Amino acid sequence: MASTTQCLASLARLSLRVPARPMAISTIPNFLLPSVATPLVRYASKKSSGGNNNMRKRVVKKKKAYKTFRSYDMTNMDQYSLCDAMRYLRAFEVGSPPTSVKYEVAVKLKTQKNGPVLRNRIRLPFPVKTDTRIAVICPEDSPLALEAQQLGAVAVGEESLFEAIRQGNIQFNKLICHKESEAALKKANVGKLLGPKGLMPSAKTKTLTTDLKGTMQEMIGADEFRERNGVVRLAIGQLGFTPQMLSDNLKAFMGQVKTDMNQIDDSHVKLLDEVVLSSTSGPGFSLNGKLNPSGESLKIEDLESVM
Amino acid sequence: MVAVGTRLHRLNSKLLTIRNGPGAAILPPDVTRIHMEFAMRMNDGHMGPRKFWRDNLPRLKFWNPAVPMIVNRVKDQSRPATMSIYIRDADANADAPLSTPTPNSSTVGHSTAPPPAKGERVEVIPMKDMHSDTILASFISKTKAVPVLPTSQEQIQMDELESLRQQAEVDRARVRKKVEAAKKEAAMMAAARDEAASLKAAM
Repeated sequence: MASTTQCLASLARLSLRVPARPMAISTIPNFLLPSVATPLVRYASKKSSGGNNNMRKRVVKKKKAYKTFRSYDMTNMDQYSLCDAMRYLRAFEVGSPPTSVKYEVAVKLKTQKNGPVLRNRIRLPFPVKTDTRIAVICPEDSPLALEAQQLGAVAVGEESLFEAIRQGNIQFNKLICHKESEAALKKANVGKLLGPKGLMPSAKTKTLTTDLKGTMQEMIGADEFRERNGVVRLAIGQLGFTPQMLSDNLKAFMGQVKTDMNQIDDSHVKLLDEVVLSSTSGPGFSLNGKLNPSGESLKIEDLESVM
Repeated sequence: MVAVGTRLHRLNSKLLTIRNGPGAAILPPDVTRIHMEFAMRMNDGHMGPRKFWRDNLPRLKFWNPAVPMIVNRVKDQSRPATMSIYIRDADANADAPLSTPTPNSSTVGHSTAPPPAKGERVEVIPMKDMHSDTILASFISKTKAVPVLPTSQEQIQMDELESLRQQAEVDRARVRKKVEAAKKEAAMMAAARDEAASLKAAM
């Protein structure tokens, strides 16, 4: 026998048709009411009859995490010889002072995102920057201080130099520390001031040294480069350079990068991907490694004229 | 680094505009050097020379890579704006080096126009209060430069770029409309929600 409770329940539901909670009588028109306030009417659909399909959560695809920096297929990329790229760049930079405008190079590497990065200094055959001012931390009035001054340091000393740094009187853009003054440097507590400027001497950057002469000579006209996001960037020449000068600088730089790449351990292999030449306000040209212009209309001598 | 396709597309459109357009002209071999002098800012009639330098001179430099084009900008706005075109005399030796040195371009007025070398004469264009198009026209008539016309392939590329630019304008208008509608609706909803909340609080 069928129970009557089911029947009664459905009857009771009929009597409960009136909303359990009276609607707020609002002065704003119905269409302006937020969707929460309007009663939701849902109809059974064919879809939901089979199961609770519309309750299924949308699966958010997890993005694949790449371990290496992205490398592109270069077959369709136009690549230029050094002279062709220089012709365009000289046209883009026409009328700008040739010593302040620079050629820049970006070397893209095939490399992992983690692991060691390339970081070194290079002394280019034709220096790009000529405004290097070096300060040396070494015992005051010692033969070392005299040597540093003779080599062209703008500031020499220990406590006098630290005091100048604390007062913000930084007249130099490179700082070297002799090993003898290492303890004094640590005691001086100037890391917070020098660190953000990238001036803090350390063995890692080869600025904590016993050979003042060698380090200073390397530093004058030496440029630092560093791999960031899989790319090494460096100002490689002034706009006034001839193609031969720029080519010499590029060769020296590429040689250095390749040696550094080989020195990294075997578990972190780095390979050369692309070399792009640009200028201060010119576009970037992917280089094909050749020097001579591709067409008959351009000669190397044409690019040696005054800008 | 930016993806290869994006870079290639941008670079090609830039190179197309530097190879073609007003100023793309090949100078006759007797033009030895060009010197421009004008002020740093546009006031007092220095806008034309500046626009010429920015828009036309790169094209000239691309087509004549061996000709020095010197720009000397000065601080003093009241100074005249002049262009000096150095032209070799017909009977002078073309291979001999110039007897007066050419200075580098300068932004602090250090590169004044050099005196003409032996066997060289100077044509001067006073550029003050001149439009860059007028400067270009008188430059071309004085030097007898031959304008470079785009090749058929380049013309096709330029037309493609132009149609892309026009389509971009249409698309931009469409998207702007869409975004504005969405913003308007969001603002209305927010206002209604505020009102509903205040009504609820009042009850």
